[in-house]
Parts: sequence; structure tokens; C-alpha cells
Amino acid sequence: MTTIAPTGAPAPAGEPPVVPAPRRGTGRRGPGMLFVLPFAVPFALFLVWPVVQGLWMSLTDSSLTLRDTSFVGLDNYAEAFGDPDVWSSLGNTVFFTAASSVPLVLIALAMALLVHSGLAGQWVWRLSFFAPYLLPVTVVTLIWTWLYQPEVGLGNELLGSLGLEPVGWLSDEAVTMWSVAALTVWWTVGFNFLLYLAALQSLPSAYDEAAALDGAGAWRRLWSVTLPQLRRTSVLVAMLQILASLKVFDQIYILTKGGPNGSTRPILEYVYDIGFTGYRLGYASAVSYVFFALVIVVSLAQLRLFRQED
Amino acid sequence: MSSSSPAHEVSASHGPGPAPGTGRRRFLRYGAAGATALLATGPLAGCSSRASASDASALSVWDLFQGGDGMLMNDMIRAASEGPEGFQVDRTILDWGPSYYTKLAMSAAGGRASDVAVLHLSRLAGYAPGGLLDPFDLDVLAEFGVTEKDFTSAVWSRTKHQGRVYAIPLDVHPFIVFYDRKAAGEAGLLDPKGELAPMGSPKALLEAGKALADVTGKSGILFGHVTDTAQSWRQFAALYAQTGASFTLPDGGPAEIDTDAAVQVVSFMQQLFDGRTNPNNLDYNAALAGFVGGRGGMAMLGEWELPTLQKSGIPLGAAPFPQVFGRPAVYTDSHSFVLPHQDSPDPARRREAHRYVAEILKQSLTWASAGHIPAYQPVLAEPGYAALKPQSSYADAGEVAVLDPPNWFAGAASNFQNRMCQPLQSALLGNTSAEKAVRQMVREANSLLRQPNPVA
Repeated sequence: MTTIAPTGAPAPAGEPPVVPAPRRGTGRRGPGMLFVLPFAVPFALFLVWPVVQGLWMSLTDSSLTLRDTSFVGLDNYAEAFGDPDVWSSLGNTVFFTAASSVPLVLIALAMALLVHSGLAGQWVWRLSFFAPYLLPVTVVTLIWTWLYQPEVGLGNELLGSLGLEPVGWLSDEAVTMWSVAALTVWWTVGFNFLLYLAALQSLPSAYDEAAALDGAGAWRRLWSVTLPQLRRTSVLVAMLQILASLKVFDQIYILTKGGPNGSTRPILEYVYDIGFTGYRLGYASAVSYVFFALVIVVSLAQLRLFRQED
Repeated sequence: MSSSSPAHEVSASHGPGPAPGTGRRRFLRYGAAGATALLATGPLAGCSSRASASDASALSVWDLFQGGDGMLMNDMIRAASEGPEGFQVDRTILDWGPSYYTKLAMSAAGGRASDVAVLHLSRLAGYAPGGLLDPFDLDVLAEFGVTEKDFTSAVWSRTKHQGRVYAIPLDVHPFIVFYDRKAAGEAGLLDPKGELAPMGSPKALLEAGKALADVTGKSGILFGHVTDTAQSWRQFAALYAQTGASFTLPDGGPAEIDTDAAVQVVSFMQQLFDGRTNPNNLDYNAALAGFVGGRGGMAMLGEWELPTLQKSGIPLGAAPFPQVFGRPAVYTDSHSFVLPHQDSPDPARRREAHRYVAEILKQSLTWASAGHIPAYQPVLAEPGYAALKPQSSYADAGEVAVLDPPNWFAGAASNFQNRMCQPLQSALLGNTSAEKAVRQMVREANSLLRQPNPVA
């Protein structure tokens, strides 16, 4: 290991700046804007503007119906902070994020390492790991609804054949969120797997070979050579995953509709419930802003954490 | 990852949210999702515009009838459209559920809604007071041969808001029981005419469940409620109304509920689905599949499952929801025609909308073949209806119809039904006691009642 140290793992740090300096006064902004415009306009129209409008709506009692809207100040926020359903659904969202993100990162890494290790029949593994990601949410949920059926489902059938008691996959309040997480892992792990695999394949083999020559075993090389080089990919995967998990809605809405007894209802479903089936757009906006604040806090915390490690 | 830039970008001060490196990938993912969504809506858009949307004279109609119901509605529209006095109809079929009601509300709030739409009568209190619907002109309707006398008072009384009629019922669709005639016969549950004999007491229904389970070797009465947002409530509401107690949701609260009666009903439901003779952990599709597959002798379902069950080939019988408490009552809803609010309706077009509703009602016999009870009474008197089996055996259900308590948040596919179902589900699964479930139902009802009314 010591022999490689001088060139160092973060070698590119010493190179000339990769990020180009801001182009000032080049006079080429015009054509650039032209290229950006087709994306910038819809972005402003469908993302920035609704965000601003939502903030305004959260200060009113705006509804889906024809009733006149009036300004209510922070009343909606006061209601949201005192609403036990907001807290319980926020709790569910955080629980799901933890229960799904950890396996989604670790399993993806394990799968990528397996495939990269030169397993025979590589394309089969790649395909079977990534294929579920291509399925639409409705199909995935339909498949798993049947797997989770109490009487005829494969899940309890397997447990039965092992001599175990059946599990209320979708009916036991303590179990259902784990069922949702398992479905989500099966469905989406392929994306993270692909990111990891791409990263693994672009790693220079020299370090690994040098470590092997020095007598490092497979575990030692994995731990001390490969994983440190994958750190930036891991940061990226973890960030993307946590943000994606916080946004969970579709599979839960189709699989359990938030049940049993609200135990799997994520905050976004609650926002949907109050806004669209309950017509209370103003209150729904306020609750989404509370959630927005949480997402910002998580993002900032992640940024800070990873920056410190850098 | 050969360059060090992505991680530096992440830590660069771009303010909150993902930095460009991650943002680009997310953007690509969103872009792909957006493109898929656009592609997915393509066929739908084509579908709705098929019936000459450019033709200004076509009457635009929204409904939520898919599958067998959808085809029958097509037949009825075709029958009404024939001849020189026919209609040109631009029909849009939307997926039933909360999303249908959201779209209906938004289109009416926008003031350019369809000419006629379908609404569950139980949702009227959430639509009429908010100005989302325009009232019917009963004189115009009478000109086309439809008057108040043609409907039962149980249903007609729910069509009004502040004295004006906002909905014209097409059908009554009760929550009923289907049974396997062979199994019921062997279990000794049929009367001399071969129909399901009245139960009369909770004990009788419990024993019927056990007897049916003995015959099928599996389960007695099947009922799917897990993760369902309506089924448990329908069953509870039917049985609760049978006790004679009332469930009212006065504006501002608190809810008026006879908790003793409610606990009695939930305890009975727990006994009925105790996980032994009757499984207590099925979802809707599993119960349906179980009944079709002969794993149960009876199933508690909506009558709209009739076409599916008839196709299954089991010797099918149907009966109103069994009366086990003091008085007959059946949980029901009703598909009704409404006039979604338009800012400046064309009088001639409005008149055509009335004529259209009247003409479709007169086609109700076709509608009845799907299992629905026509709300338009002259059709029930036709010999063709009496010949419809097993539909005619539960036609009386319309007279003891119990709908959701009227309030803006209640009704079909509403938050209210969903919230009532959650504690009921827990009770049926044995996760909580009947008393606790009822307490939670009252709490949920009161928290809905405390919300400011967005339609008033």
C-alpha cells in the first residue's frame, strides 16, 4: 500500500481545474440562452411558478370549489402543526425512507460487486437485477398484491412450506410498511445497481492489482481499495435514494391506500387526501410546505455531512 | 467517476436542494417519467375526442362506467341516439374513485364542464352547496316524461338541496349477498321456493356461516375488506341502520352516533369474521376469487359484481343484505345524472341535456341487466324486469335504502368512508376491540366535522 501512496487515491486533485472558469464577456450568451430556453420555460412554468403559487395558497383557505378565497395568514400552518395525522404520516414517510434506503444502497452495491467479480453469465444477472426497474408501478404492485395475499399468496405459501406461521403482509400494522419496502427494493434496486456497476467498471485496476501483489486478500482489497474509491458514487446513490424514498406515494397508494389503519400512509398521500378528495387546497399546500421544509433540512444535512468528510 | 468534479459540485454552495451533478440525473429521470406520462395520456385523449369533439352540437357526457357497465351504457346511449330525434353524444369515461370526483369538481369550478355527468347521490352534499352543480328544471324534465312520481321517496329525498333538485337517479346499487345455490341448499338455508330464507337474528347468520363452511369444507361467508376503503363501512352502515340507530353528521359537529349500537354491530362483525369459519384477512379481490373458486358459500359484495359472478358458472343466487337486527335496511348508493356547473349555459343545450337524461332513464331495463336496480320505477313494473334473475329478487332493497349521512366530506370514494374503514379493519383483524374501534370512528368523524367546510 505504501508504495502507491505518493500518487495517492485522490490523484486528480492536483490536476489543473476541471471546472471551467465562468465565461465572462465572451458575448456568446445569446445562442446559449436559445438552447436553454426550451427547458427553462417549462421549468419556470410548471415547477417554479407552482412552487410560488403554492406558497401563496398555503396562506389562504383556497378550495377546489367555487367558493371565494380569503387570506388566513398562518392558520393553516397552525392547524398542520396540531394535526396528529400530519405527524403520523410524516413519521411513516421517515420510517419508509430508512427502511428502504439502507437496503437499496447495500443490496445494489452487493449485486454490483457480484456481477463485477466476473460471475458466469453476466448478462443474465444484469438483466434480472435491472429488469424490475423497467416495470410500471401498477404492474409491480399488482404482482406483489398477489404475492402478499393471505390465503393464496406465494409469500405465506413459502412460509407454510417451511413450517412457519402465515404473516399478515398487508393487514398487520407492524408488518405492512416492511412489505412496501420489500416491494420497493425489488422494484428499484436496479437503478442503484447500474450506477454502482458503472462506477466499478471505470475504476482503474492498477490499485487493486498492486494490493493483490502486496498480499492483500479479497476482503482487504474490497474494504481498503474498492469501497474507498466508490465513495463518491455511494454519496450520489444515497442522496438520490433518500430523496426518492421521501417522495414515496404511488406503490403505497395502489397497494394499501395507506392502511391498515393509516400505518403506511405517507405524507404525500395525506396531502393528496386533503387537497383532492377533501378539496382543501390551502391546507394541503401548507402541509406540503411543512414537508418541503423537512426535505430541505435533510438535503442540507446530507450536504454538510458529505462536505465534512471531503 | 474518473474526474473529481461531481463530488465538488455537490459540496459547492448552490444553496439548498440537489446540486447540478445530481440534479442533471434527477432531471433526466423526471424527463423520462414526464415523457412516459405524456405517452400514456395519448390514447386516452384520442378516445375522448373520437366522438366528434369538433361538432358543436354533440352533447358532452362524463361518466365512470367501465367494463360491463361501460358497454351497457354504450348500448343505452346508442339506443337513445337512434332516429331523427336522436342525440350526438361525446362520451368521456373516467376512472371511478377519488380522482373522478376531483376532476368533476375542477371542471365545474372552471365553469366549462360537460353537459351531463354521473355522480353518486351520496356525494351531492359535497357538490350542490358549493355551486358545482346546476339545478334541474323539473318542468322541462316533465315535458320529456320524467317526474318525481317515478322514483321512490327514499332516493328522491336525497336529490335536493335547498328545495331544488340537483340529481336525477339512474339506479340504486345496494350492498347485497351472493350465494352458491348448491351450497346454501345443502346447508339448509333455502326456503321452499329455493331462495335464501330470511335470517332474522345475528345468531342465525353466524350459524349460517358455520353451516356453509361445513358444506364447502373451507369458508362460510366471504368478505374482503383489507386495504379497502369502502367495504367495511358499507357492511357496518347496513347493520347499524338495522338496529334502528341513526348516524348523523351535523355541521360543526359533534357526530351523533349511538355508540352502544355501533359497538354491538362491530362485535357482531368480529364474531362473523373470526378467522375460523370465515376468514377475516381477505382483500376485495381475494374474497371475490375465493367465492368464484368455491372456497365459500356466500359473499358480501355490491350488486355490480353480478356480471362477473354470472360468468363464473357457479349456481348463483342473490338476496338483499340479510336482516339480523330490528328493522330492514340495506346500504345503498345511487348513480345519478347531474348538470355540472357551466358559467354561461346555452338554453337550447340545457334543454337537450334534460331530454337526454329522460331518454337514458327510459333505457333502464338494459342497465338492470348489470345487476343495478333501476331508480326509474316504471321500468320495474315491466314484465322484462321480473324476468331478470336474480336481479328481481333484491329489487325491494331500493325501498329500505340507507345512504351515507349527508355532509360535504361523506359519500362514495370519500375520505370519510376511508377513515371509517380503518378502525373497522383493525377490529375485524383482531388488532383492536370493538369499543376502541368505535371510539376511533367517532374521533375521526369529529375531526372531519371540525374542518372548515370548503364548499359552504
